[in-house]
Amino acid sequence: MWDNFVREMMRAANEIVNGFARFLPRFLEMLVIVLVGWLIAFVLRALLRSVLKLTRFDKLSEHTGATQLLRGAALPSLTELVSRFVFWLAWLGFILLGISVLGVVGFEEHVATFFAFLPRLIVSLFILFFGLLAASFFSRAVLLGAVNADLPSPRIISWAVRTMIILFVGSMAFEELGISSSTVIAAFAMTFGALMLGLALAFGLGGKDLARRYLEKRFAREPHEENREREDELSPL
Amino acid sequence: MPEETILSDEFVRELINVGEVDILVGVPTHNDARTVGQVVQAVRAGLLKYFPRARSVIINADGGSRDGTRELVCAASINDTTTSDLSALRTLHSISTQYEGNPANGTALRTILAAADLLQAKACAVVSPESASLEPEWIERLLGPVIRESADLVLPVYVRHKFDGLLIRNLVYPVTRAVFGCSVREPYPSDYAFSSALGSHFLNQEIWSQEQGRHGTELWLTLAAIIGSYKISQSFLGAKSRLESSPSDLVKAMRETAGLLFCSMDCYPAAWREVREPLPVPCNGCQPTVSLEPMRVNRKRLYQMFTFGVAQLEPVFLSILSSPTHDELKRVTTLPEEDFMFPDQLWARTVYEFAVAYHRAVIGRDHIVQALVPIFRGRALTFVTQNREAGEEAIEKGIEAVCDTFEREKPYLLQLWDGGK
Amino acid sequence: MPISQDGLWYKDAVIYQLHVRSFYDSSGDGNGDFRGLAQKLDYLQDLGINTIWLMPFFPSPLRDDGYDIADYRTVNPIYGTLEDFKNFLDAAHKRNLRVIMEMVLNHTSDQHPWFQESRSSRSNPRRDWYVWSDTDTRYKGTRIIFLDTELSNWAWDPVSKQYYWHRFFSHQPDLNWDNPQLREEMWDVMKFWLNMGVDAFRLDAVPYLVEREGTNCENLPETHEVIKDVRARMDREFPGRMLLAEANQWPADLRAYFANGDEFHMAFHFPLMPRMFMGVKLEDRKPITEILKQTPEIPDSCQWCLFLRNHDELTLEMVTDMERDYMYDEYAKEKGMRLNLGIRRRLAPLLDNDRRRIELMNGMLMSMPGTPIIYYGDEIGMGDNINLGDRNGVRTPMQWDGGWNGGFSTADPEMLYSPLMLNPVYGYQAINVTSHKRFDHSLLAWMKRLIKIRKATPVFGRGSIQFLFPANHRVLAYVRKLGSETILVVNNLSSSAQAVELDLKPFKGNILVEMFGKNVFPRIGDLPYLLTMGPYQFYWFKLRRL
Repeated sequence: MWDNFVREMMRAANEIVNGFARFLPRFLEMLVIVLVGWLIAFVLRALLRSVLKLTRFDKLSEHTGATQLLRGAALPSLTELVSRFVFWLAWLGFILLGISVLGVVGFEEHVATFFAFLPRLIVSLFILFFGLLAASFFSRAVLLGAVNADLPSPRIISWAVRTMIILFVGSMAFEELGISSSTVIAAFAMTFGALMLGLALAFGLGGKDLARRYLEKRFAREPHEENREREDELSPL
Repeated sequence: MPEETILSDEFVRELINVGEVDILVGVPTHNDARTVGQVVQAVRAGLLKYFPRARSVIINADGGSRDGTRELVCAASINDTTTSDLSALRTLHSISTQYEGNPANGTALRTILAAADLLQAKACAVVSPESASLEPEWIERLLGPVIRESADLVLPVYVRHKFDGLLIRNLVYPVTRAVFGCSVREPYPSDYAFSSALGSHFLNQEIWSQEQGRHGTELWLTLAAIIGSYKISQSFLGAKSRLESSPSDLVKAMRETAGLLFCSMDCYPAAWREVREPLPVPCNGCQPTVSLEPMRVNRKRLYQMFTFGVAQLEPVFLSILSSPTHDELKRVTTLPEEDFMFPDQLWARTVYEFAVAYHRAVIGRDHIVQALVPIFRGRALTFVTQNREAGEEAIEKGIEAVCDTFEREKPYLLQLWDGGK
Repeated sequence: MPISQDGLWYKDAVIYQLHVRSFYDSSGDGNGDFRGLAQKLDYLQDLGINTIWLMPFFPSPLRDDGYDIADYRTVNPIYGTLEDFKNFLDAAHKRNLRVIMEMVLNHTSDQHPWFQESRSSRSNPRRDWYVWSDTDTRYKGTRIIFLDTELSNWAWDPVSKQYYWHRFFSHQPDLNWDNPQLREEMWDVMKFWLNMGVDAFRLDAVPYLVEREGTNCENLPETHEVIKDVRARMDREFPGRMLLAEANQWPADLRAYFANGDEFHMAFHFPLMPRMFMGVKLEDRKPITEILKQTPEIPDSCQWCLFLRNHDELTLEMVTDMERDYMYDEYAKEKGMRLNLGIRRRLAPLLDNDRRRIELMNGMLMSMPGTPIIYYGDEIGMGDNINLGDRNGVRTPMQWDGGWNGGFSTADPEMLYSPLMLNPVYGYQAINVTSHKRFDHSLLAWMKRLIKIRKATPVFGRGSIQFLFPANHRVLAYVRKLGSETILVVNNLSSSAQAVELDLKPFKGNILVEMFGKNVFPRIGDLPYLLTMGPYQFYWFKLRRL
């Protein structure tokens, strides 16, 4: 019996050792993949950083106001952000690849799902990012336009524009991710529709005189006649 | 891909017939039939009287007029196919072309420059089709310095109403003088003259597909002449006609002035950083330049638009202005209308901080320019209030004081520009 | 002996103006003479001209280069005898060369026996042959022609103690054409020469023949009556002879001298000449086309006489003040070049000795409607000497060769009536007939070719003219037509190459044949006809329908 025990123990130990022996190369393979992946991700980050610097990507983002946005959020510059994102994405990919080499059952499926989800995540991040930029840009444009056109409540108009764009962009992002997309779309449609209806009622009923005067001023008269209706004779140039 | 052509085939054929000229007078038009006939006849009289022996041509660059503007310009021709004109020694061609694109003075100017280059014109003048007060003598006063004194750019000096051209007097002139070091009263002219050297140089600038190649181009010409160290002079012309086509829309005016100034400061820092003292620019025949007729000014509206604008645009100003300047600006908005005063120094610093913000593109550059508009209203209100009863001397003193302030604040501009706070 | 009388011969004439004194000296006394001129007729015939216009050769004190006549019926002994003249005339006619002579009707020299008699006493029969007055205030407002030398049109005669009228120099008293005896005498004088065979008279200073109070004493109806009378007599007794008017007037005033074809046959077109020079300097055809637009139609039997230069100053009387100032500034930069509202320079110096411009101007001269006149020496590009007094700078001896006195005379140089041109550019060593004859490309050779084509093309002398007005104002283009023959003339007045588009639609289908080289140019189609032209180039095209 003792011999059997020892034999079984030996056999079990052998199996464990064999198991380790079988696992270790894979583990080592995984480590190598992860390491190589880190190297590649590092090179990619450096390359991308150089390319973005060369193409003055930060200047572009300054023009669109993204820099300001990031600075406000205490985030690094867009070039740095993008480079780091690419680094982590690349390395994460290699890590997952390495893990898949380990041969853990059921894990490959999750890895595949993750990789399938990745593009959509990236796209929705892009949508969100540029949408926020657009919201910032257009809301500011509307604010300035409204102030210089002497319209009432320019801030409210600006806020409304920003909110609408953010809502719109948010819905697009969620739809892209596939997270409760139908709920989100419905909610957006209802909000947007209600807003539009409200504005139409307010403008059409409550402000119809103003609307009439505005349209007449805009389309029915020649520009120099418009000048004559100014309340003073100042000519800036 | 072939580069775009500026001059149409038909127009080139007409230019061939004109041949080499000594003088070219350009008239940019768009539906100016009301005044252009008078203007062109005055130009013609000026050429016949003061340059009877010169080979001259009048070139009309039109933006698509439908009221017979072009025909009126062509009627100024003197040749042997029309009735004899023995008062004219030579043929005088007066030809017209319609340029591509939307009507814009910059595009018209480019057409005129291209024609001048092709015809090897030694001296060119551009006159506004709305200058109904243009006299034949203006032609001599504009072209004379180019021909006789080798000036490269001749800018006008007008008699203007004391409240006319506030943006020029309070922004464009002080900045051109203090920053670029050139004391010209009308850096954004509607009637001016230039030499072939400057014309060719300007034609080759890469601005024509951008906004400054369409609007405000005349100001860019002045700046190009300053930056290129061309010889600039001024000539007194007379009373300036009020231009219908000139934007009363302050935003548009601001884009064409402040926008262009900031852009040129950004593009050519080396040209102005080293400038210490503004150089005086000679003025031929200068006389008192301010007229004092009554003018209707709605000061209340200016005040309201200023205070309201500053309040509403606070989030924008926070991105542009420094804290002390922004605080000072807010303090000014709290002043009651009867005590309202927008100090010169605050104005100068504000303008400079806007210039720096433009340079750094802290937000969209066009937004920066637009944001200056309500602040300018406050400045305009102060000018109008302070000079309500003022005579010519007092007004000149006031403008001089503003310019001095801009000059004194230039080190502040440099400090900001280089990254200081 | 007169030559064949084709009544309109003057329309086909190419006239050569010369002064016998300046042309060739056969006697060695330093003055040209008729024998010498006769020896040079072969040269003139070879040149191609067919008419010679002689400047005054009458006995004269020569204070106005022979226009101050002291005897109407003989030849100044300096130039030979009357017999010499007759021989010359015969020799010219044998070569089919016609001869125009001067006839100064307006005034004589104060040395003329008539004036000597007239001034001798107030009761002399010839007293009234001149215009006398007790005061110098008559005919107020009459302009003075020789502004540089005369202060008044009246001169005091110390002999008869009265003033006498003179429109020119004070030594040239005006004849009184109101006097019938004077009229008959002058007709006798003209008959004298016509009988000898002279083909035509150039009547000098015709606008001033008659004076009337309250007028400007120019172009008066009475003057025209005088001429008409002369013309009628001449047509009756000497058909086929010609009268040429020297009247420096605006075209509208000149028209009257043609009347209905019963006054002058020809008149100089004075206003056109300075405008040709102006057009070339301005590089603009406007001055030329405008003066021709103002030129009235003349009777079919009449003809304009065109010229570039002559023995007088290039007159600037018939231009505006602005135009005169321009001409002075461009063509007479030195004050010494200016005289009596004109410029006393020859053709070549005026054109900066630019061969192309000289050709262009001669091309226009030969192709415009009128009879062309070549001033002696201009066919070889002779220069001028403004340091000689009055207009003598353009009357220097003809330069025949590079030898002794330029081949003009065997006399000692000091004896010559006028110094020769000596500078290296225009001097006789550089500019002379002999050296020009050596080269096919010389100006003389070119002039011969030009004259030959002109003579072979009656259109130029007799045809109509229609201006084309191409948009390029530097190009002067016109069409000459006579019957079925059509010639297109295109002149580039500019110093730089030009492109010009001509509207030749009315002539569609014609082929252009360039008349000098006889080369064919493209057929005229629907599109504007494009020509490219070198500096100062001109084309003469014959239009042919083939």
